[in-house]
Amino acid sequence: MSANSNGVVRSGSLGGDFFDFACKVMLIGDSGVGKTCLLVRFKDGAFLSGSFISTVGIDFRNKVVDIDGSKVKLQIWDTAGQERFRSVTHAYYRDAHALLLLFDVTNRQSFENIRAWVSEIHEYANDDVVVMLLGNKSDMTSERLVKREEAEKLAKDNGIAYMETSAKTGLNVDLSFMAVAKDLKMKKTRRPNEPRFNVRDFVDQQKQTPSGCCF
Amino acid sequence: MAAAGGVAANSGNDLRSEIDAYGFRRPDDFDYDTYEQFMSQYLSVLARRAGKWNKAMDGKKKVKKTTKVKRYIRKGISNEYRGAVWMYVSGAENMKADNPGLYQRLLDGPKDDELLEVIKTDLHRTFPENIYFCNDSTVSKRSSLQNVLVAFAHNHRTDGYCQGLNFIVALMLLIVRDEESCFFLLETLVKRILPAYYTRQMTGLKTDQEVLGELVKQKLPEVSQRMERESVPWSIPTTKWFICLFLDVLPIETVLRIWDCMFYEGSKILFRVCLSLIKQNQDVILSASNFPTLVESFKKVTLHSRNTDCHSFMKNVFLDSQPLGRATIEKLRTECQTSETK
Repeated sequence: MSANSNGVVRSGSLGGDFFDFACKVMLIGDSGVGKTCLLVRFKDGAFLSGSFISTVGIDFRNKVVDIDGSKVKLQIWDTAGQERFRSVTHAYYRDAHALLLLFDVTNRQSFENIRAWVSEIHEYANDDVVVMLLGNKSDMTSERLVKREEAEKLAKDNGIAYMETSAKTGLNVDLSFMAVAKDLKMKKTRRPNEPRFNVRDFVDQQKQTPSGCCF
Repeated sequence: MAAAGGVAANSGNDLRSEIDAYGFRRPDDFDYDTYEQFMSQYLSVLARRAGKWNKAMDGKKKVKKTTKVKRYIRKGISNEYRGAVWMYVSGAENMKADNPGLYQRLLDGPKDDELLEVIKTDLHRTFPENIYFCNDSTVSKRSSLQNVLVAFAHNHRTDGYCQGLNFIVALMLLIVRDEESCFFLLETLVKRILPAYYTRQMTGLKTDQEVLGELVKQKLPEVSQRMERESVPWSIPTTKWFICLFLDVLPIETVLRIWDCMFYEGSKILFRVCLSLIKQNQDVILSASNFPTLVESFKKVTLHSRNTDCHSFMKNVFLDSQPLGRATIEKLRTECQTSETK
């Protein structure tokens, strides 16, 4: 078993489960935007309001997903959002195949800080890392402080995909992880004459928009 | 409903209760059998220790630091006296006496909105499984938690608030109860007992993780080699250990026994606990052959049913790491600091 420069491991039994591909995904973003909730929703399909604790340090969980008949093992790293913990966490960016960058649509500051997160990514992550911007808590329509259009614009300016998610309702949660897994699988299996897989186009086609949202 | 820290709560009638003596709702997968087996023996230890503490305290208001007290503390402070003993042996009681009115002044003083916001983000994410900190609690200590954190953060504006302190203050409130006393216990712990763990640069944390790495290299070389071979930095498994002082890492009763010693003996106890945990579970760690399983093995280490028996756990802590002098630790800290700045 060997890992290449962007953390992709080709077949093996990492931690006991068999898989065809494995990759490392990191959840980043300000404190309290819902990184752990998103992970638990994806991993266990559950959202228990009032049962989450602040993440201290860094932790990971595995999930194997099926992508067009291949088993892709996602090793998902959950990180503390507070700035001082970044010196502990950004050392792991460089091995990451994908970064899910979260903000909270009801917390303006968490959106304003995205630019700082993006420069952090440029500094520490691989050049070919897949970055996806996720506006979480999109179910809280009456408390929304960040418009979808502005987030879409910010994502476009930075050449990254954008989706609105809700760990509470599950909106686009699976899709965000599956898109990352698919991107990895396509990178590994694409034949030279086939078109490149574009993760941005893929999520734009697949994503659902939160109901009751402004149009 | 169980009373926090109450001796009665340990009487054995409610070993199968869904809520423990400190108000924590036990998880669905709580191992009642292991716990009951342990408590069947530990209850008599608790009774014996309580008798000894009663005799030693005998109406005294103050606790002096003597070798007898140190020995007693290593065997566990009786619940009845735990809060008071922490306050005295840590020096927090003196600090409180020396600074009358400070706590109230900090609470009444001007506030930094950003700081308030950061603290607020963590309030509902602090022990939501505890009856004193959950939403809709009728006996909520959440406002006390907020007050202590706000006062502390405003007393140290440059460092502000660091995540992890929320859990620490919450446990202090369950044991010491009085808000102002908790504030001074936190001051003493963060500013005098522990190195700079919670500062913006977290330099003390980074140094101590290096120091631990060095100690493991000396005492448990196989584990050290495995960590190096798989390039697992000590910061991955141990950031939470150091920052939360084993809270939400080890069982609560075990955490309390560690804290008993920490307030008396200082931060070196943290290394002894780390070393003992690693030594006791060396087989689990060494059976991991790649990065992810190695990282996961440390979770298994903390979740091992052996950790429930806090009494044997502490015995092992002192047996496994032969006296670890303050001077040894300080020397290693200086060396690790120098190598960091190089």
